[in-house]
Amino acid sequence: MIHDILTLLNPRFRSIYNQSPVFSRGGGTYKYLFIVILGVIFWAGSLYLSLRVLRYFSQIEELGDILAWKLLSMIIVTIFSLLVFSNILNALSKLYLAKDLKLVHSMPVEGYRIFFARFMESTFDSSWMVILYTLPVFVAYGWVYKAGIFFHMTTFLSLILLAVGAAGVASMLVMAAVVVVPASRIRTLFLFLGLSLFILLYIAFRILRPERLVDPEVFSATLFYFKSMSTPSSPFLPTTWCYDALISALKGENLVTSFHLALAFSFVLITVYVILLMADLIYFNGVSRAQTSAARLFGAVRFNFPLTWRLSGPVRALVEKELKTFFRDQTQWSQLFLIGALICIYIYNFKVLPLERSPIQTIYLQNILSFLNMGLAFFVLIAVTGRFAFPAISMEGEAIWLIRSGPIELKFFIWIKYLIYLIPLMVLTLILIVGTNILLKVVPFMMGLSCINTLFIVPGVLSLGIGLGAAFPSFKSENPAQTVTSYGGLLFMILSAIFIGAVILLQAGPVYMILSSQFKSRPLTLFDMTWIACSFTGALLICLLITVLPMKFGEKRLKESLFDIKR
Amino acid sequence: MIEIRDLTKKYGKITAVNQLTLSIPAGEIFGFIGPNGAGKTTTISMVAGLLAPSSGSVSICGVDMLKFPKQAKQKIGYIPDRPYIYEKLTAMEFLKFTADLFSMEKRDFEQKAESKLKQFSLLDWADELIESFSHGMKQRLIMAAALIHEPEVIVVDEPMVGLDPSAIKMVKQMLIDLAASGTTIFMSTHTLQIAEDVCNRIGVIHKGRLIASGTVKELKSQAELKQQADAENIDLEQLFMLLTEPAV
Repeated sequence: MIHDILTLLNPRFRSIYNQSPVFSRGGGTYKYLFIVILGVIFWAGSLYLSLRVLRYFSQIEELGDILAWKLLSMIIVTIFSLLVFSNILNALSKLYLAKDLKLVHSMPVEGYRIFFARFMESTFDSSWMVILYTLPVFVAYGWVYKAGIFFHMTTFLSLILLAVGAAGVASMLVMAAVVVVPASRIRTLFLFLGLSLFILLYIAFRILRPERLVDPEVFSATLFYFKSMSTPSSPFLPTTWCYDALISALKGENLVTSFHLALAFSFVLITVYVILLMADLIYFNGVSRAQTSAARLFGAVRFNFPLTWRLSGPVRALVEKELKTFFRDQTQWSQLFLIGALICIYIYNFKVLPLERSPIQTIYLQNILSFLNMGLAFFVLIAVTGRFAFPAISMEGEAIWLIRSGPIELKFFIWIKYLIYLIPLMVLTLILIVGTNILLKVVPFMMGLSCINTLFIVPGVLSLGIGLGAAFPSFKSENPAQTVTSYGGLLFMILSAIFIGAVILLQAGPVYMILSSQFKSRPLTLFDMTWIACSFTGALLICLLITVLPMKFGEKRLKESLFDIKR
Repeated sequence: MIEIRDLTKKYGKITAVNQLTLSIPAGEIFGFIGPNGAGKTTTISMVAGLLAPSSGSVSICGVDMLKFPKQAKQKIGYIPDRPYIYEKLTAMEFLKFTADLFSMEKRDFEQKAESKLKQFSLLDWADELIESFSHGMKQRLIMAAALIHEPEVIVVDEPMVGLDPSAIKMVKQMLIDLAASGTTIFMSTHTLQIAEDVCNRIGVIHKGRLIASGTVKELKSQAELKQQADAENIDLEQLFMLLTEPAV
């Protein structure tokens, strides 16, 4: 059995090795180094934040430790929930929807062994990032409570057992569900439900207005309420065993720790045994069901988009194709739903800002906030662009041959993609900016500046998205939407952040000057006006350059890669 | 017509296509045969404008592919060997997409599309999403799309892959009829019987070079000269082996 499983996992190991700088003799080293450095920065940031919070708690008399334990309990429950959610999605893909399943199942290997190899892959894929990036929190606990090496070993082991346990639970649920509902439909439904739940929880949390904690009148009452809150602590839950193991390890109770770890370990063993039994009985049936496409929920209706008849043939072809394939992809709906909900929450945050209690003059503060809000709204723009516009070129998939062989220029194709995404992104950003500015009751100058900035920055960010997406495409990927997590995607996010930062910074001084002169009734000098003009001109030039250059770069790189043109 | 002059394609140190020169007049079906890795698909890709040559040129009806790719591709209907298309479109929508891309007249479209779908036995599936199609159905849909704008040149890589016997028969007759009406057809195939049944001329490519070219009768004569064999009794498969296998 071990031999079969290792053989089934071998292609995965080989492809990781073949893509690494070791195999390519240094090729892509800088890419990997860049990603590693980013990861280290994030890790260090999380550790710093966790230490700050825990040290703050430790200074609160009587309640400090209780708060820290409550927080730990909530973190473990959250990690377990995330792991189950992530494992369900990964298990559906790896076990039922992957392209190589036909090849693997045609081999003389028992179904449950194939299942187990896939289960191991899926567990690793779902868990490694969650474990790696939550480790700083636990390291912070060990640091603040001066725990020894045993605590850190317990942490590592607990997280591994939690991950495997979550994967086991997820696989059981998936195998049972696929017997009844097609795998592809479960994936879409689950994603939608999961996101809906997350949004509802977030809205509920937001409505509670936790920022009131900073109000001393509310703080002590809130703390006592928080103390009385309890997360699920049934003795039969893996989260309880993990929590108990960590608490006893922090207190130096090694025997008790070992007992709780043994409980977790036995749960994992039993779970794995049960899922292997289930796999032997029903896994292959589920795979067979997944080979057929789900019946359409809505019947086919021929329709034409209302305004596209005005467009020329090739433009109409690309626009209609893009809109139809986008809206018929069910995975996109959940993303759109999430964005809609996030916009509502974003605007709500501004509605409940306690500006009247600020020691700074309110109208002045509101306008400064409006300026800072621009930066935040543009970061939301980067996230949305990264999710939708960056993978737009890659979404052609293997059908890119149609564009290669068709009578259209590549430049035309890329710019059509650009224009399709420009309008929705512009509308989204304007809603965020104008909506929040209305709530902040800003002066006309700030409203005008925000809108003008939006009109120039959105095209720039989109150009970076489409251009870099064209320069770093992934036509063979099973899930092109995830290309934003690739090297090209990271480059896009960093360059977009730098672009927005540069534009905002160039304007910061002039905006401060203009607002000061308005509120303090101080006229601007000639030097002030010159500086303002130069800064705004500089910002405009940057926007225009960023709107054009990435698209040219993307077109050039895409042409070279698609047509194998030597540079 | 297709004019290929000294066409070469190199991938690093490997020369996939080496100084290929060929002229295919209007109304001819030219079959390209060769062993795996001989350079057939690379040649097809360069002729269809999917790949830039390392040197040499391709002209489609007098239009240079490298200098005026858009105009040259306007004249081509390309059929690849693997049917990757937009799964979330229906068959009719995919034909409309292709028709629009080739700036086809709108008023002609509906009638032509239904005619093509009927010809390729896909009319009942006109409004179904392509994701529910079998491999063979997708291949037929791509053929329908390649022909809907009535190209002057058809470039096809392995035309019969995934087709059932009745579809193969239909496609063979269709290619012959198209050639008779003046369309130039450049196809690669592994199936020697198809080449023998359909092609006016056949080119044999081996290790990137065109080692033989002519009608079936001419190629058999070449083989007769090579092997002192009886030309009447040698078939294309034996001919292919003679020309492409190393001399003992």
